[in-house]
Amino acid sequence: MCGINGIFAYNHSASVPSEAELIATRDHMFRRGPDGVGVWWSEDRRIGFGHRRLSIQDLSERANQPMSDGTGRYTIVFNGEIYNYPELRRDLESKGYVFLTTSDTEAILHLYALEGEAMVHRLRGMFAIAIWDREARRLFFARDPYGIKPLYIANDGWTVRFASQVKALLAGGQISREPEPAGVVGFYLWGSVPEPFTCYRDIRQLPAGHTQIVDAAGVHPSKAFYSIARVLAGAPRIHGSPTQMEARIKEAALESVRAHLLSDVEVGVFLSAGIDSGALLGLMRDAGQEKIRAITLGFKEFEGTPEDETPLAREIAKLYQAEHVVRSVDRAEFKHDLPLILEAMDQPSIDGVNTWFVSKAANEAGLKVALSGLGGDELLAGYPSFQDVPQWVKYLSVPAAIPGMGALGRAALGLFKQTGISPKLAGMLTYGGTYPGAYLLRRGLFLPFELKTILDPELLSLGLGRLKPLARVAASMQPAPRAAIGRVCALESTNYMRNQLLRDSDWAGMAHSLEIRTPLVDCILLAQVAPTLRSFKQNFGKQALAKAARTPLPAMITKRPKTGFCTPIASWKTESISDKPLSAASFSRAWAESIMEMP
Amino acid sequence: MPRPLKILFLATDAFGGYGGIAQYNRDILTAMSHAKSIGEVEVLVRLSPDHIGSLPAKIKQYPAVLGRLGYALRAIARALVLRPDIVFNGHLYHGSLAYLIAKLIGAKMISQLHGTEVWEQLAPARLTPLERSDLVLCVSRHTKACYDRQSLRDQANSIVVPNTVGPEFQLGDRQTARKKFNLEGEKAILTVARLDSRGGYKGHDRIIRNLRALTQSNDAVSYLIAGDGPDRPRLEQLSRDCGVADKVRFLGKVPIEDLPDLYRAADLFALPSTGEGFGIVFLEAMSCGTPAIGLNVGGSCDALADGALGVCVNETDFPAALQAALRKPRPAPEALSDAVTERFGRKVFNLHIETALAHLI
Repeated sequence: MCGINGIFAYNHSASVPSEAELIATRDHMFRRGPDGVGVWWSEDRRIGFGHRRLSIQDLSERANQPMSDGTGRYTIVFNGEIYNYPELRRDLESKGYVFLTTSDTEAILHLYALEGEAMVHRLRGMFAIAIWDREARRLFFARDPYGIKPLYIANDGWTVRFASQVKALLAGGQISREPEPAGVVGFYLWGSVPEPFTCYRDIRQLPAGHTQIVDAAGVHPSKAFYSIARVLAGAPRIHGSPTQMEARIKEAALESVRAHLLSDVEVGVFLSAGIDSGALLGLMRDAGQEKIRAITLGFKEFEGTPEDETPLAREIAKLYQAEHVVRSVDRAEFKHDLPLILEAMDQPSIDGVNTWFVSKAANEAGLKVALSGLGGDELLAGYPSFQDVPQWVKYLSVPAAIPGMGALGRAALGLFKQTGISPKLAGMLTYGGTYPGAYLLRRGLFLPFELKTILDPELLSLGLGRLKPLARVAASMQPAPRAAIGRVCALESTNYMRNQLLRDSDWAGMAHSLEIRTPLVDCILLAQVAPTLRSFKQNFGKQALAKAARTPLPAMITKRPKTGFCTPIASWKTESISDKPLSAASFSRAWAESIMEMP
Repeated sequence: MPRPLKILFLATDAFGGYGGIAQYNRDILTAMSHAKSIGEVEVLVRLSPDHIGSLPAKIKQYPAVLGRLGYALRAIARALVLRPDIVFNGHLYHGSLAYLIAKLIGAKMISQLHGTEVWEQLAPARLTPLERSDLVLCVSRHTKACYDRQSLRDQANSIVVPNTVGPEFQLGDRQTARKKFNLEGEKAILTVARLDSRGGYKGHDRIIRNLRALTQSNDAVSYLIAGDGPDRPRLEQLSRDCGVADKVRFLGKVPIEDLPDLYRAADLFALPSTGEGFGIVFLEAMSCGTPAIGLNVGGSCDALADGALGVCVNETDFPAALQAALRKPRPAPEALSDAVTERFGRKVFNLHIETALAHLI
């Protein structure tokens, strides 16, 4: 886990890149990699790479980056972890490749030399990669299938710049801060900035599961090498008893956790009172990890109330003999950290504060790596959206197709605004009849017709035109899985999880030099679970996960009603922006507006 | 080896044409004639006031057809006969026609943007063919940014292929050149530009208004204005108002064959314009060994290479930078000329066209 950046003056007419810019961008990412630092220039100085290292595999200096292969033809900067590195290494060694380190970076370098761009299909893990091929004079980018690791690219037509953070690219001083309407509109619609857009016109995210080439001809269109929807749509339906399905999920989850424990430093775990993190802890124990430290956030405001997760988390930690670290957070600390949070927040987000504090706690405990249960709800149908979205489509597809019905609903909003009618209720007939529309209703912050009162009309028009929110969501579930559960799984994984949860994990974790690993966000696991999805009854997936460890989670955890966002952070946030208490929906909207107004 | 490409090139003018766009089209066509991947290029133009002259190898230009309908019919007819692999849309005006032909015969499409035509918001009829092009060639980073800002595409289809400079703009006998333009002891600032009816965007005003201060701090300074147009009376009046009418020489439209000597004769080429798509005159001046100064606005930044080739400053800093540039000893002309060739010479331009085609293939 690291911070990577680079500058490539690919156009024959471009000036040679400046070292000062390369270093300024690199060092803006200090917290992503406090353990090591590196810079590399090609002989003609037309391309340079920068790297900040958080040492996790092969802690020696020989594994520092940028790293070149023995021939000097290929040079890499890489942010992430390759969990099947031992297997890849064995394979490469059998083909005659000699390793000088025990780092996964070197394996990628050799694999690229062997297989070229196609090597991305063999990588399991999270990654943002840039490789320079000196002979072909070609720069290659790749980003992992789920989009766990970020890779931002700015191309002005002469020079391409890339980095792990948007703000790091801006720190280089050569990129315009002109806003990107699609990014701004996207933030108001979803509460996070949907890729490939950022809030800045000249900076784009390489889409998840894509590769891209830059050569003298410029930046070529990115190419997809992986699609979650395709995996779900193409999964064969397997038949079997619930017990057989559970066994398949259990085996796949254990295998994923085992793979995600590959590390030369201690791996901890974020622990709440929920099924996902509890199951991960149990599986870590089953995978053979001896010392396990589990980090739980506690809030003084909740002490002695049912919202306090620490007693149940303590029980889980005890069950799996983990060392339990409870970190208490209070209003004063939130207030103190808020400016730091906003500074670390690479792109606007309405969430991520919880991850900030739990990462802070892990860092204080001396951890560099922690597992997170993120992704369990998306993979195993844990969200209400898995019921709501298909039902809305079922009941609203016919009335929503009647011309004028949507307008009628929106007119009702105008008439009954004073009564507090929800804009989403008013939007039911406009959006509820299709999966993308229903998903927007479920996850959206504002609806498109509401933005007229918030955004400049020109920005809104251009933003909506470029973002094409419904078409974009529709594309994210293409090819469409046959079953509703597969469709919602694709929607949640490629929208909310990718643009909100994984982005928040990256900036909040990295702000504390902590690598957050997500064993439930894994291609091999998805391939194993996808065939079982159509057999899921309500709650089956999460309950199967709860039973995955050799010692299953107890009923007090599995029968506990889902509490959702149960921390006092929301009320602290409310206090920071409003004198009056706000409902959950109003709060998110007000918070989003206040974030965009901040400098 | 892949089959050589056939290109149908739709342009306002090219060989036999006059002005910057015609020159750029000639440069591209000449580069295409050198490209190994290209087999033949058929050029259809709307205007051809001058003699077409001899054409480069592989290039065939048909007589001009001014009328829209006649032009469109001929373009479609040639496309059906030639079956080109690529339709080249040489100007925004031909976008719809080029797109229609490309669709009709299943060819790829390249569009060319020269600069200021995309500075304003484009009508959908103009923008859509650009968005649907396989590649859009922009003369500068600024032109690319202006187009990308309007395009609704997720992935940009634009690349930058900068202007080049003709071989006639090279080092020469400066003393003879100075005599030719009657320059004796004084330092000469030169601007070569149309005196456009849009009034003042080329930046002559910025120099005229500073001329008195420049003459006070330098021995003798004159300002040569090459080019003609409807803005001339206003500029003449401005010179009188500023009390520098005797220092400003309006040369009118200078024949192209005299331009290299004019550049060589000058001590400083200045074009503090806010409206350059690229600013090829900067390259011409610097190729002749004369230092240049402009604003960091629009395409000028590219021609001046962000200050690496010529002085590139904001409007506020311009007067002081102009003063400093004039006082500075003239830089080594060979080094300046070579630096321009290295970035913007014919060889580099040919390479740009080769790589652009490689991008498409």
